[in-house]
Amino acid sequence: MSTHQHTITALVQNEAGTINRLVSLFRRRGFSLASFNAGDCEDPGYSRLTFIVNGDDAVVSQCLKQLNKLIDVIECEDLEPEHSVQRELALIRVEPTSEQRAAVHGIVSEFMARTPRTTATTIVVEQVSDVASLERLIAALMPYNVTEIVRTGTVAIKV
Amino acid sequence: MNRSGAKIVMEALVREGVDTIFGYPGGVVLPLYDEMLNWPQVRHVLVRHEQCAAHMADGYARATGNVGVCLATSGPGATNLVTGIATAIMDGIPMVAITGNVNSWAIGKDAFQETDIQGITIPITKHNYLVTNIDELPQVLAEAFYLANTGRKGPVLVDIPKDVFTATTSAPFPTTISRRGYTVPGAPPKDQIEEAVRLIKGAKRPVMIAGAGVLHSGAMEELRYFAETTKIPVINSLLGLGSIPRDHELSLGMMGMHGEATGTLAVQEADLVLGIGIRFDDRLTGNTSGFAPKAKIVHFDLDPSEIGKTVTPVAWVVGDLKASLSAVNKLIEPQDRPEWLAQIKKWQSAYPLIVPQGRFLSRTVLKALNDHTKGEAIVATDVGQHQMWTAQFYRMKKPLSFLSSGGLGTMGYGFPAAMGAKFARPDEEVWAVVGDGGFQMTLQELQTAVEYNCNVKICLLNNGFLGMVRQWQELFYDNRHSHVAMGSPDFGKLADAYGVQFYRCSRMEDIADTLKGASEHDGPVLCEFVVEMEENVFPMVGPGASNSALVMDPDLEPSEAAHKAGAFETTHAGALHV
Ligand SMILES: Cc1ncc(C[n+]2csc(CCOP(=O)(O)OP(=O)(O)O)c2C)c(N)n1
Ligand SMILES: [Mg+2]
Repeated sequence: MSTHQHTITALVQNEAGTINRLVSLFRRRGFSLASFNAGDCEDPGYSRLTFIVNGDDAVVSQCLKQLNKLIDVIECEDLEPEHSVQRELALIRVEPTSEQRAAVHGIVSEFMARTPRTTATTIVVEQVSDVASLERLIAALMPYNVTEIVRTGTVAIKV
Repeated sequence: MNRSGAKIVMEALVREGVDTIFGYPGGVVLPLYDEMLNWPQVRHVLVRHEQCAAHMADGYARATGNVGVCLATSGPGATNLVTGIATAIMDGIPMVAITGNVNSWAIGKDAFQETDIQGITIPITKHNYLVTNIDELPQVLAEAFYLANTGRKGPVLVDIPKDVFTATTSAPFPTTISRRGYTVPGAPPKDQIEEAVRLIKGAKRPVMIAGAGVLHSGAMEELRYFAETTKIPVINSLLGLGSIPRDHELSLGMMGMHGEATGTLAVQEADLVLGIGIRFDDRLTGNTSGFAPKAKIVHFDLDPSEIGKTVTPVAWVVGDLKASLSAVNKLIEPQDRPEWLAQIKKWQSAYPLIVPQGRFLSRTVLKALNDHTKGEAIVATDVGQHQMWTAQFYRMKKPLSFLSSGGLGTMGYGFPAAMGAKFARPDEEVWAVVGDGGFQMTLQELQTAVEYNCNVKICLLNNGFLGMVRQWQELFYDNRHSHVAMGSPDFGKLADAYGVQFYRCSRMEDIADTLKGASEHDGPVLCEFVVEMEENVFPMVGPGASNSALVMDPDLEPSEAAHKAGAFETTHAGALHV
């Protein structure tokens, strides 16, 4: 059993303390959480969360069982990459020299990213994609004075 | 009908059949304490420290199987409950803890005596609530009792701001409770039962280890029928003691770190180990890589997260244990296994628990306590050597009569837990077995016992040491005593100050009379037994060691029988290495 990343989604009843309880579980039981994302979903009063967890199958299976035990958790699942769509959104602020601006725009169009805001000195790059290509984009922008990166963490949906 | 939050709390208690609660007042719970005066049917026991309110609620729950309730004010009152709540979650004890909090509009502003008890207790409760809307209070309270006492039981905390106690609502209590995503485990899947039965039928040297789960689901009859039909010996975890009468011919007592040798050896030699309502925790399994090396493990439990958590079973039955065992019982036929049972008898005679004669030992006293009560009393222990000896020597006849903090190992638990049990079952004789260390953590409750005439008998084994820690220092730290010699007050004067009947016993010939005198006295009694100071608990599996490295009592003569019992290289105390 090899350690790798698992994508777990959970439907939870959203009450005072719910997120705290979920995150506390990961900390307390030593599950390694790479990212998590929470937001409203199709059910009013409920949220759907996506956790990226590092661990072998036994760890992830224990993680799912422990999540399921929380009273707030309605259901949770380990999503297979083949049977899900997984995306992450990143906002990357680049502050290139004026000579570098064209190169930055070149990278943006090569990766089919967007630039929702630009100023005389700043370009904000927005990208929604799978993690691997997001990371390639970030690597490509790095030489051009990246001053801030904000990432949502993966969100995932079952197909 | 409009009524206040305080009244709703009292209504909830009555609806749930709670006759006694354990608590301590303070500013933010004043509206509830005022309302309480109108509800004589609910007895409030005023403790001397909130930790003991939680332990009493725990003892009440363990002795009855019903939810125990404790109550505290905000801030320090609430945080004082924490040890008791953590004790309860580890052992799956149904409890509802009610705390007051500052006014809802003041929450988050560091108001006087504000503390985030919801946040603090997230990891140690099954669930918890902060109720800021009075309309939700009836639903939350009903749900809290339901969650505490269904499925895998545990403590639930309800934090109620002061203004919610005084606000009013006409919101009714729910008639039924259902929470999306929360299902109470029922009967297990049929294929799991069939697979378990197949393995049981094929086993030559099976054992079962019955734990607290059996007591929680009330599956004692089913367990006994199963054992008697299949002739599978029943070993217990510490908290499973009482799930089968200790003098039943198939009962082998406790196994593990300080368990009886027979149970531990039987598991090491077994070809099938049935874990029934146990967590396979480290005190029971020893180093898991050496646990039950020849056996297939089948795990029966209602909590799926227990399956495969520490050991790897080949099969499992996930469901309520009563339902699981009765389903198994329908498919099994009478079996006999004379050879295996004969082997077990050999171990029992080769490696008995011993009480060296002519010495005033804790074991001498506990053996006498067993003879005196005939295993009919409720016994609560504190934590330490005396706890292990009680587990070894107290041969309880009935379930729900052995109370001990197993998972958390909370010193200070024994005496208040015994009181909780006595409040719940006043007609039973209740003993607390405590050490000189642990008793000094919660002995202020002597006053509570006197005020309520809570007729518990305290068997205080005074060895002048934090005995269990001293034992580890002797065995693993070259006998270098670091802060384990423990002074005590003059317990006689102390008892006198509280107005508690007291006996001090330091002669063998007085033990029986002391116990008898204690039982005959109408009221709480403190019996101090001044025992030998440096006595060790055996058998012992060193921390981190495999159960095969079981160390026998050095006072146990290596007899002919032991050689014949065979198969095991047993060591003596000097050889403990970890
Ligand atoms: C609250 C708490 N603190 C510390 C410990 C660690 N501990 C376990 S047993 C023990 C010694 C108990 O001494 P005593 O109550 O005299 O019982 P004895 O072992 O002598 O029978 C200690 C300190 C604990 N279990 N609980
Ligand atoms: Mg002691």
